[in-house]
Amino acid sequence: MSDLNTFLFNVFLFSIIINTGLSLYGVFVRPSLIKKVIALTIFSDSANVLAIAVGYRGWPSPDKPPVPPVVTVSEPTPSELLRFLDVAVDPLPQALVLTAIVIGLAVTLFLVFLTLQIYRLYGTTDMRKVARLKG
Amino acid sequence: MIELSTLTYLFMAVTGVISMIATYLAVLEKDLVKAVVYSALQSTAYTLLFYLLMAPDISLVYIPVAVGLYPAVILFLIKKTERMEGDEK
Repeated sequence: MSDLNTFLFNVFLFSIIINTGLSLYGVFVRPSLIKKVIALTIFSDSANVLAIAVGYRGWPSPDKPPVPPVVTVSEPTPSELLRFLDVAVDPLPQALVLTAIVIGLAVTLFLVFLTLQIYRLYGTTDMRKVARLKG
Repeated sequence: MIELSTLTYLFMAVTGVISMIATYLAVLEKDLVKAVVYSALQSTAYTLLFYLLMAPDISLVYIPVAVGLYPAVILFLIKKTERMEGDEK
């Protein structure tokens, strides 16, 4: 990988890490429960992108791009499989992230339901007001 | 002449910066509806990133979940509760 490519990939990684920090700030500091839910979705998605980036590989050579981990022939010969292994990215993080996205959707729906119940009981979604209430 | 690999990494960097700006705006915005829209913009950038990182199956799952379902559910929640985030007292 040339220097410019490395720099650009580092810019990408840095922006994702900044996203993780910003969304953690949103979860811990912002008072609104709805804002906390939004920031939590951003946090989980940033973690997913980082996991996929771990499984990514650089270009094997400048004119040979990496390919998705999908074999496109039904009965591959060993030589075709070896050529595929040379250029394919790691499929394991992708399988894990696919599960994590679906679980994240279920968790978000549960948190939305909890926020709605808090609003019905206390009449506000502001965390500071909810903490000040008695009983 | 710019190489194809450099172009791919350039797209990755630009998309990452766009997602960073959208996250910043989504976290700091007081109007929650606008925050949801910025969050959807950030999800679109992440979809492009998944595609560029050679995970097209993840992007196919991620588009309906993060660009469609999350904003719809949270907009429903905002409609049932309150729209503005409270100020400091």
